[in-house]
Amino acid sequence: MDTVESILKINNIEVKYHEVILVLKGVSIEVPRAGIVALLGANGAGKSTTLKAISGLLGTEDGEVTDGAIEYEGRLIHHERAANIARWGIVQVIEGRRVFEHLTVEENLKVGAHLRKTGSVKEGLELVYHYFPRLRQKRNETAGLVSGGEQQMTVVGRALMTEPKLVLLDEPSMGLAPMLIHEIFNIITKLNKEEHISILLVEQNAKLALNVAPYAYVMETGRIVMDDNSEKLSQNEDIKDFYLGLTDKGGKKSFRDVKHYKRRKRWLS
Amino acid sequence: MELFLMTITTGIMVGGIYALVALGWVLIYKCSGVLNLAMGELTLIGAYVTYSLYEAGLPFIVAVLGTLAVGIVLGFLCERIFLDKLIGEPILSVIMVTVGMSFFFKGVVQFIWGSDTRVFDPPVFSLHPIEIGFLRVSSVYLWSFILSIVLLLIFVAFFKYTRWGLSMQATADDETAALSLGVSARFVYAAAWAIAFMSAGVGGALLGNINGINISVGYLGLLVLPAVVLGGLNSVPGAIAGGIIIGLLQNLGGTYLDQYFPGGVKEIMPFAFMAVFLLFKPYGLWGWERIERV
Repeated sequence: MDTVESILKINNIEVKYHEVILVLKGVSIEVPRAGIVALLGANGAGKSTTLKAISGLLGTEDGEVTDGAIEYEGRLIHHERAANIARWGIVQVIEGRRVFEHLTVEENLKVGAHLRKTGSVKEGLELVYHYFPRLRQKRNETAGLVSGGEQQMTVVGRALMTEPKLVLLDEPSMGLAPMLIHEIFNIITKLNKEEHISILLVEQNAKLALNVAPYAYVMETGRIVMDDNSEKLSQNEDIKDFYLGLTDKGGKKSFRDVKHYKRRKRWLS
Repeated sequence: MELFLMTITTGIMVGGIYALVALGWVLIYKCSGVLNLAMGELTLIGAYVTYSLYEAGLPFIVAVLGTLAVGIVLGFLCERIFLDKLIGEPILSVIMVTVGMSFFFKGVVQFIWGSDTRVFDPPVFSLHPIEIGFLRVSSVYLWSFILSIVLLLIFVAFFKYTRWGLSMQATADDETAALSLGVSARFVYAAAWAIAFMSAGVGGALLGNINGINISVGYLGLLVLPAVVLGGLNSVPGAIAGGIIIGLLQNLGGTYLDQYFPGGVKEIMPFAFMAVFLLFKPYGLWGWERIERV
């Protein structure tokens, strides 16, 4: 990890909502240039908040980075406006497929391109349609009415239109059929390899995330509790147990044996 | 029959002007969810600005262009001075601020231009009616209508085809998602106010040509509210259709019902119609119903 240059360094940040609710209590994450890093964790662990802290969207929810620093390409960005951060090449794909429902698919993409030079919008569209050929067929349909998978593609494509250097992906698999998830993750990996876009991926589906990302962090109640290579992580007993749903022997878990509350997570001291 | 056709033509033409004012209303609502109750005063200010430029010796069309320019500046200023600090505050507070602005503007207007009725002098449009076939339309109405439609088309094209227009629509749809793409909410609000100021201002100037300008032009702005609600609060085509419907109703009411209910039928027709209409279509003509997918 240290040998590669990193594009984003989060250094021990603390995030508070409404000046009192402490949501993140010291989170440090590093994303290497042109790499994929996964961020795992259960509901409410603070994954989305971490992403919003990076992209500057915290501000709209009355949240604030109160301690620590976020460094992006040598620039401190944790007190910047969301619009500036987006201009410098960070784009967040918010969870829940938030398309602009009343615009067409292509207009959605064009909104993503609103910071680009006029001439390059077409190029951008071609690039998106190259990776998501399905969107080309649906380009003139109202985005609120296309299928869930197509909405997810629209949202990722729209992010691509901003010519990002770093994409923050929040649960791209949520509520999609397994085949579609597979398709979308293939495309994401391709984008990373061919366009050299760095990706910070938040997922509940740990198995999927560990497959795609070579390095991962595990979050719980506002803290990073573990980080390692994905291979090592998927061998870890606790990860297997709590995130991958496997027993020590590697077989499927029988729900008869599950006594979550009795077993102590080893990283908690 | 001839009376009926004349009434309808006049109605549609006045409706065009209403549509212009309604557009401003819809825009601000669409982008920020705020019902701008100072809209009537924006109309009023526009009317007086055009009047002053015209009296200074500029041709009418240049005066209108000047009003557009002043509208942009005032719109941006309003947003910066009054509303920027309110981003993220409850919508009701912002609406109350617009009520305050409406009183403030009314005061400023009376302070600068006084309260006498002013008329464009020399008259901008010839007093002779234009004859199209057997229809006789006064040229004020005809030219106002044409100018309104041209401006409306320009605004609609702006929304559909320019990146700023698209970002404004996107912000109306999902503000957080728009922000994540780098759309600046401040700019979008400011642009919405600027365009609202422009369209309402020109609307005011045209209305001023018909009736003369005094403080009551501001109440005409309020009269446009049924047009906006009728069309669906956040639909631009709705605002245009709503404006024309209101214009029609007003004139039909004035021509045919005034003899039975002398007094103000013309003024209350739109509101009465709106109330009944909303019983059947609560979202208005083309208002957004949430797109629900099953």
